[in-house]
Amino acid sequence: MSRQLLTHQTSVSDVAADHQTLRKPKRRNVGLAFIAPFSVLFLFVFIVPIGYSAYISMFQNKLIGGKVFIWFDNYIKLFQDSQFYDGVIRVVLFTAIQVPIMLFSAIALALAIDSLRLHGSRFFRIIVFLPYAIPAIVSTLMWGFMLGIRYGLIGSLNKAAGTSFNPFAPETTMISIGVMVTWGFTGYNMLIFYAALRAVPRELYEAAAIDGATEFQIVRHIKLPALRSSLIVTIIFSIIGTFQLFNEPNILTTLVSNSGITSYYTPNMYAYSLAFTGSQQGYAAALALVMAIFTIAIAYAVQIKGMKNAFNK
Amino acid sequence: MPKRRMRVAAAIAASVVALAGCASGGNTSPNTEVPTDQPITLTVWSWDGTVKEAVPGFEKLHPNITVNVVNAGSSTDEYTALDNAIQAGSGVPDIAMFEYFSLPLFAIPGKLTDLSGFGAKDLAKDYVDAAWGNVTIDDKPYALPSDYGPAAMFYNQSVLTQAGVAAPPTTWEEFYQAAKKVRALGGDHYITNDSADIFVLMSLMWEGGGRPFKVNGTDVTIDFKDPGSSRAVAFWQKLLDEDLVNTKITNWSDDWNRGLNEGTLATQLIGGWFTSTLPERAPQAAGNFRVAPLPQWEAGETSGAENGGSAMAIPAAAQNKAAAYAFLEYFTHGDGLQSRIDAGAFVPNLSNLNNEKFLSATNPFFGDQKYNQVLADASKNVATGWQYPPFFGWARTSYEDVSAPLYDSKQGTLAEVLETWKQRSIEYGNEQGFSVR
Repeated sequence: MSRQLLTHQTSVSDVAADHQTLRKPKRRNVGLAFIAPFSVLFLFVFIVPIGYSAYISMFQNKLIGGKVFIWFDNYIKLFQDSQFYDGVIRVVLFTAIQVPIMLFSAIALALAIDSLRLHGSRFFRIIVFLPYAIPAIVSTLMWGFMLGIRYGLIGSLNKAAGTSFNPFAPETTMISIGVMVTWGFTGYNMLIFYAALRAVPRELYEAAAIDGATEFQIVRHIKLPALRSSLIVTIIFSIIGTFQLFNEPNILTTLVSNSGITSYYTPNMYAYSLAFTGSQQGYAAALALVMAIFTIAIAYAVQIKGMKNAFNK
Repeated sequence: MPKRRMRVAAAIAASVVALAGCASGGNTSPNTEVPTDQPITLTVWSWDGTVKEAVPGFEKLHPNITVNVVNAGSSTDEYTALDNAIQAGSGVPDIAMFEYFSLPLFAIPGKLTDLSGFGAKDLAKDYVDAAWGNVTIDDKPYALPSDYGPAAMFYNQSVLTQAGVAAPPTTWEEFYQAAKKVRALGGDHYITNDSADIFVLMSLMWEGGGRPFKVNGTDVTIDFKDPGSSRAVAFWQKLLDEDLVNTKITNWSDDWNRGLNEGTLATQLIGGWFTSTLPERAPQAAGNFRVAPLPQWEAGETSGAENGGSAMAIPAAAQNKAAAYAFLEYFTHGDGLQSRIDAGAFVPNLSNLNNEKFLSATNPFFGDQKYNQVLADASKNVATGWQYPPFFGWARTSYEDVSAPLYDSKQGTLAEVLETWKQRSIEYGNEQGFSVR
């Protein structure tokens, strides 16, 4: 890395010498050399892949006739594709319901641990966080067996109670996936909130206690406001995460039948099946870009809204 | 601008392919000579583990050739990798494995070598007719069959006996009666399961003379209304309507294994390759399972269908075609075949299907039945003339989508599902440059 930097510097100063100019431009060029390593990485890791996706999204790869340049036809087709909307509406609904439940639970758990009134809070913290360390593939298999109606836990409960509740019917599959995701990510979010709470100076609590504040008032006026910025971060992470839902539904299709999971169940699954079973890579690239822009727009809106409220306070 | 240029390029490419076809079709083809003076390395993409058994023998015959057998993924994974390699123009294997239904996908756009120039046509008589039909497109062989899946009925004898079915059903009418008796055992007992498996339904169509797909070059016709197909659809609809088939169990799932073990799934209508995996899946049912031919539409008929199987082809972009063909012929037809059969491959070569040693094999799991005899007969009986549309790989996934409402929540009928499927396939096929009706 440092050698690269040096060569940059020398070549840059050669150029500067040619121009016969002295201090000012030289200093500017040194600055350029410093950002060069980052710029090169940024170019190849971020700009080029996105640019390439945009490029292939304007082609159709036909089985007969090969690659055809079609301008924005893939995008036009995408906005008329009911299967695409089906997946988008599903993940938006999922996000609207699952994310608040998960974050609310995570805040409650973080407050509980931070209250210092629990025994074994360290053990508790690790246990709640543990599901995050389990790969989604493994946890889906595990939940699939547990919620399975034929031989799983739910199957036994149904048998004992004489009911016929099915967690993997077309109407309930999304709820089951919500349970899996909540289980997997609550601990992770809890840790973020817990870290934010730990950063609150303890003197504030003492001062509040001296002023006669109740525990509830401390939560309301000190702890919750302290969580604001981490809440925005977790909301953005969660939105991005749920919009990219893929592993859980994809594995469930091989595990249970009649779950209602189609090849376009989520936008990610749709992109995958377009690219790999339909060999419509261009169309899949268009879908991926549209979803990326959609996700960024929502995440950005959350951030703006969060910041505005923060300043109003 | 690029649109037109692409078209021109495509036209040129097509004519080059056509010319190449002429060249390799002629008799004066020096490129069929296997070079002996220079070292050659052949790369074979195969997810069939038995291929490597034939390598040592071949390398002894051709000391200058080294064969690398690579598993580049199964099915779609391999096809994607192959397509990428062909587009990139590098890393294309000398031999690649294909499921029968995926051959047209590569053969029709000219991505595979026509093997006529190597004398492959002379091998036709050595295979069961339907298997040869699978690798022949427009009268040109594009691959050699490497394994085979005649559709058969695996049945749990003790469950059928318990249900009062003395002999395994030999006609679909008997199958229907047996289904009712098995269902009468109560609980979760079903004669079989079906969770939107298009191959089961296609077996029934295929056996009864239904030919829903007609392919002629890039012209594809889809029609599920021919007598053979509609009879199959009506029959299966009856089983679904009367709750005689378990639609809640999908093949390859844990539930499936348990059903096979417990005997709550009394039969499986599946390919002959099932012999290699059933004993591991259902160890508790050891000794109970037997193999029988697919039930017939009319008593006394001996028709059959196919469920699975694959072939090996030489990509058009392969480097060492002559050497590749030499190895291809060696392990699918020549002296290397026996080593693969010994390792468990089920092949459609008549030399094997008539081999007494192969036919007399028994397995205590199947109650010491001579199961290969049944499967060999089933292979020879497979009805000919079936065609897969070139985009069948896509269509199979699409079928799961369109049939979901029927299997999940009993909305609609099988005939309606097939109609929707047909419409989607027409749309997709035309988009992909075929002419589909």
